[in-house]
Amino acid sequence: MERNPMRRQLQVMRKSLFDQGYLDEQFVQLEELQDDANPNFVEEVVTLYFRDSARLILNIEQALERKPFDFNKLDGYMHQFKGSSSSIGAKRVKAESTLFREYCKSGNGEGCMRTFQQLKKEYATLRKKLEAYFQVARQAGPMETACRPK
Amino acid sequence: MIVERIVSETKDQFPIGMRVLAVDDDPTCLLLLETLLRRCQYHVTTTSLAVTALKMLRENKNRFDLVISDVHMPDMDGFKLLELVGLEMDLPVIMLSANGDTKLVMKGITHGACDYLLKPVRIEELKNIWQHVVRRKKFDRKDQNNSDSQNKPHAGSGEAAGIGMLITV
Repeated sequence: MERNPMRRQLQVMRKSLFDQGYLDEQFVQLEELQDDANPNFVEEVVTLYFRDSARLILNIEQALERKPFDFNKLDGYMHQFKGSSSSIGAKRVKAESTLFREYCKSGNGEGCMRTFQQLKKEYATLRKKLEAYFQVARQAGPMETACRPK
Repeated sequence: MIVERIVSETKDQFPIGMRVLAVDDDPTCLLLLETLLRRCQYHVTTTSLAVTALKMLRENKNRFDLVISDVHMPDMDGFKLLELVGLEMDLPVIMLSANGDTKLVMKGITHGACDYLLKPVRIEELKNIWQHVVRRKKFDRKDQNNSDSQNKPHAGSGEAAGIGMLITV
């Protein structure tokens, strides 16, 4: 039973992120790469992700303003966004990316726009939740490193 | 030749210190890949540009043992890089993609990739990639000794890939 209240809160937050499907197993992979040599790895990667993917979101946004839609281009942007998102375990965001790409392949502009709105919502929610999570993590101090299965 | 050096000097250490060139234009993916590769105790060089990768390889092909590259890059098609590396340097190349479409995997194989990994890559997969280095070198040496199996360099790589290919889906 975690004695430190901050760490307990952190664990609750973490569990909720997984239970509610915001994060998947890939996030655990990131945590396993965090160690004494790389003590802030998870936050570093996530921060990098949000910084870099903002550019992709903007590209997609701009591409969706040009009619008729260039589905190839849209698919290309989303392919990269999906790759990036899956690298940090962003489960819901990844699901929306997949859906978006399916609409691109079938040339469904309406579907693309609808899905993109949903994607942006999930993306913003994830960002907020992770920012809050890392804030508590910093206050809670270094966690024990996860045991890596041999 | 690299295999001789590996066998004689670093028999106990290889694949520790295996020199990998990692190429991915996505900074998040590249950071993750770099960290995973370092965790495997490989020696890692990264670049986000395929043209830079090619330049480094052309400057000194003996600087690296293996190349791992994303398929989808803005400055050069990953398959093009794969082809050029195969033709010019005969180094094992592993393709990386978020897209596991059979057509793409097939394209990777026919262009000479010795493996095709799906993102996000797991450390378990990277722990085995050194086998491609050893396998390729052994196959190349057998080729030189055996006049019958005069494969075109490209087809040769394809065959070597065929023997030991792991298509991780």
